[in-house]
Amino acid sequence: MGGTQKKKFERGSATNYITRNRARKKLQLSLPDFRRLCILKGIYPHEPKHKKKVNKGSTAPRTFYLLKDIRFLLHEPIVAKFREYKIFVRKLRKAYGKTEWSAVERLKENKPTYKLDHIIKERYPSFIDALRDIDDALCMCFLFSTFARTGKCHVQTIQLCRRLTVEWMNYVIASRSLRKVFVSIKGMYYQAEVMGQLITWLVPYQFSHDHPTDVDYRVMATFTELYTTLLGFVNFRLYHSLNLVYPPKLDIKAESELKGENEDEYAMDSESYPEKLAALSASLARVVSTAEEEDAQLDAFPTEEEDLEKVEAREKEQMQLETQKKIFEGLKFFLNREVPRESLAFVIRCFGGEVSWDRSVCIGSTYDATDETITHQIVDRPNVDKSYINRYYIQPQWVYDCVNAKVLLPVEDYFLGVTLPPHLSPFVEEKDGDYVPPEKLKIMALQRGEKPEENDEDDDEEDEEQNEDDEDEAEEKNLKEMEKQKSQGKSLQVKVTPGKMKMENPVRLEQEEKAEEKRLAIMMMKKKEKYLYDKIMFGKKRKIREANKLAAKRKAFDDTEKAKKKKTKN
Amino acid sequence: MYNNNNNLPKHVLKKKERKSTRSSYCAVLHLFLQVATFPTPSEQKKNSCFLPPSSPLRPSPFKMAAARRLKRVAVSQPGFLGLKSNVKPSELVSSRRKRVNKNKKKNWNRHSDIHDVEDFLEDIRHQERTTGGLLSEKPDDSLFFLDVGQTDKAGNEEAEPVKAEKGKRRVQRPLRIDLILQHDSMVPAPKNVTAYQQPNAKKLRRIAQKAEQLAAKGVLPRRQRRLLSRRPAEKTVKKAEANNNPDRDFYAMWGEEKVTDSADPWYLQQTGKKLVQRPEKLNQKPSVLPAVEVIAPGGSYNPDFLSHQALLQEAHDVEVQKQKQEDKLQRQLAFRKEDRATEETILHEEVEGLVEDEDEDEAAAPNEDEANSALGAIAVAAKKTERQRKKEKAEKMKTQQQQASRRQTERQQQLFQLRSIKSSIKQQELQTKARRMKRKARQEAQKALPRRLGRLKFQAQDLEVQLSDELAASLRQLKPEGSVLKDRFKSLQKRNLIEPRERAKFKRRLKVKYVEKRAFRQIT
Repeated sequence: MGGTQKKKFERGSATNYITRNRARKKLQLSLPDFRRLCILKGIYPHEPKHKKKVNKGSTAPRTFYLLKDIRFLLHEPIVAKFREYKIFVRKLRKAYGKTEWSAVERLKENKPTYKLDHIIKERYPSFIDALRDIDDALCMCFLFSTFARTGKCHVQTIQLCRRLTVEWMNYVIASRSLRKVFVSIKGMYYQAEVMGQLITWLVPYQFSHDHPTDVDYRVMATFTELYTTLLGFVNFRLYHSLNLVYPPKLDIKAESELKGENEDEYAMDSESYPEKLAALSASLARVVSTAEEEDAQLDAFPTEEEDLEKVEAREKEQMQLETQKKIFEGLKFFLNREVPRESLAFVIRCFGGEVSWDRSVCIGSTYDATDETITHQIVDRPNVDKSYINRYYIQPQWVYDCVNAKVLLPVEDYFLGVTLPPHLSPFVEEKDGDYVPPEKLKIMALQRGEKPEENDEDDDEEDEEQNEDDEDEAEEKNLKEMEKQKSQGKSLQVKVTPGKMKMENPVRLEQEEKAEEKRLAIMMMKKKEKYLYDKIMFGKKRKIREANKLAAKRKAFDDTEKAKKKKTKN
Repeated sequence: MYNNNNNLPKHVLKKKERKSTRSSYCAVLHLFLQVATFPTPSEQKKNSCFLPPSSPLRPSPFKMAAARRLKRVAVSQPGFLGLKSNVKPSELVSSRRKRVNKNKKKNWNRHSDIHDVEDFLEDIRHQERTTGGLLSEKPDDSLFFLDVGQTDKAGNEEAEPVKAEKGKRRVQRPLRIDLILQHDSMVPAPKNVTAYQQPNAKKLRRIAQKAEQLAAKGVLPRRQRRLLSRRPAEKTVKKAEANNNPDRDFYAMWGEEKVTDSADPWYLQQTGKKLVQRPEKLNQKPSVLPAVEVIAPGGSYNPDFLSHQALLQEAHDVEVQKQKQEDKLQRQLAFRKEDRATEETILHEEVEGLVEDEDEDEAAAPNEDEANSALGAIAVAAKKTERQRKKEKAEKMKTQQQQASRRQTERQQQLFQLRSIKSSIKQQELQTKARRMKRKARQEAQKALPRRLGRLKFQAQDLEVQLSDELAASLRQLKPEGSVLKDRFKSLQKRNLIEPRERAKFKRRLKVKYVEKRAFRQIT
């Protein structure tokens, strides 16, 4: 009906997207450069809703970008730097081909470089934005810092990553912000709370790399390039927030302690200082030297009565946190050479412990194994040739479990040669009704301040007790506590008096009343609500049933284990 | 300015030549000079009475006649040697004199005979060209040598070169082309005068002298004083340091925002002083997944029994799924039993084409019938009659009326069905609501899923699992499972930050040809 014919693919989503190749041509970059630019600028491919429309009728799988994003990229000054670099490479190759070594030297001296500072500022306009994205940066830096310097990536990058990770660890130690540690088969997971943000990172075990072939190292190196810059600026800010000197300097007092005789044997002069920092055994220098960190009191604001409870709860939580931060305070650790030094030193120092190791293991040891004041020696071998009577010889898992439990666990379970209790993941948070492994229950009981069962008794007795325990676990917790009290014989001392019986009556009555009320309420429910209620209750029951099943399974497993043990004993 | 060793006569001559070579008195002068060249240099020295060449040469009328005479006398003498052989001395002296009025300049020019002068000048130039100066001024040694006759030695020497000549000559004799190109004049080329001139030379010299005087006193010129008093520029031309320099420094990036936007933002943007603002939308993350996904509790190095079992179960399920898919593929690709050749099919194959089937003919026959019938149908369709048309029209009207009335009654009936209609609407609404919820939920779930960003689909990493007997007894004996690098890489892919790719395959352009080495062949 009149008008010009509308052409296809000239409006709508077809014009909003651009294929990767066209984008690349628009920017006049090679594919690797384009990919790098996208990573640095944080521009990611999109999957359009209607692929066929966007792809002009074709259904071939393609990578699409938003056209507006690519237009935004056109303004980036780094694009020019990429082109410059390309020309530099061409010139260098030519000079090499002509064996003009002086030209090669000159070119290398004037190698074009670029900085990513402005991109960091652009992508993370505020510090909190940067902190939210620091997980990735930490993982990548920790990963690259463990690489061997064999040309998989630039040695300088590895060095920079190492420096930044050491700075980060020192900050976490200084701010006491570590919360969780999980030793997994993949690596070590840490979680810290920095400025209200929970930050999780993964540290690979040392010397564990077989370089996989299906990983694009160039892409990873580009991410690392961005993240090193980000982590550097974040570190700077964090150090300044704690009044620490940046780049980190060792405290003068601590440094004098570190002075060892064989320092120059361990590292060259130029390297010894960073190595000492990396040893994590000494505290850092502050801009304003304070004798002791003052415990800042929270300002008490007059609040309404409703909030009062909340405030109290918060205060209580705060108190708990403060005590948890100091669980290793006053303890003196000594690390044997077979345990992972860096991780343990980091964790122990994060919670206020003192730590040292053999002088030949690493630089920065503060005291020897012969020191009488050592309270815990961390050992991971079947037996020790020389033992001191006034210290515990424990396996490294104790440290991690203590941190996760937020209390000092009994050392007996972690002695040399003892089968260790399982290392539970602190990242699992059980809701009520979920199955909770008995080990965790034990720890929870410890956290509540209850005494664990005495282990002086014979094995058999203990077994029986545990059997009882296991039965209890299937039931309610209250029951279990009562059972414990019974077994410990505490309730026997209490005499039952009629007055007390009367005291119990109103409670019971109240309970009954409540139950009755609940029953009536259920009866009064509308059909719709009733249906929902039944559904919820059914879900709960199912959960409990599953938990019971798991518990039974566990019990069976434990029984078989015990039977095996007995057999071996006999 | 001129060549220093130019003697006076030449200098004068050149000048005269330029000004008025044809003037008669000048000619006379030259004649005189020519005469002066006549005696050999040795004679010249003896006859001191002869005019020295450097004497002032002022043309005077009374001298002119005398000079002419002298010349005539000189030339006519039998011993006169002109350098130009073609000019006979007798020609120089004209036999008859022409009488011409000399009161007109035109006549002067026309009738004064200057041949002699020009010849003379040519002669001088010739001398200069060939010998580099006037012969008369040459020292005797350069012109003559003492002939002492042949000596014995010379005779000996002459014999020897005959032998050696053949070899030497080729080396010594210059090439002919060089000889041709050689500069054959002995007169040096005139120097470019302007090249040696300096603008403002005098002024500069004066300034230099003054500066020298001041320097002797110890007073520095102003410019130098200012230079010295200036603070030496600090060498802060930092080389642009690489981004991954391990000693690079950082600064407070998130400080107070500086408000320096006094200029026009458009101007700042266009001049590259201010970067284009990043769209807010770009800061959204393409996936809701966390950056670090913590491994399941069964992945602990010393796991609790049940969680370990759960993880194993999960890994097992994944493997079973994989196996199922593989089996399915195998089943589809497997050889079907029905396709196996039996004796019957083999026989059928062998006889194929040899025995004619009669069925085909039968099958072909009905087709023809159908075609005939179709043709007939077209032929039968005849024109409708008027009556038929009217009937059809009436029928149409009737049905329309019926339908309209039915609709009317239905609408009326709906009044009584209001409740049921209401409920049905409600139901529909509920349905759409439920559908909307479902769609939304699906969209939410999609946010956590990896998108299809390229040719390849995202493929999750294998689960890291240690079997019960692989678990380490202590931390020291722990053997790490999987690669953190791969984990990070896959995580980036999973969060839609990069598209999944496969490594570019190496394509060999040229075929490889294997050849046994001869040494190897000898052994085998």
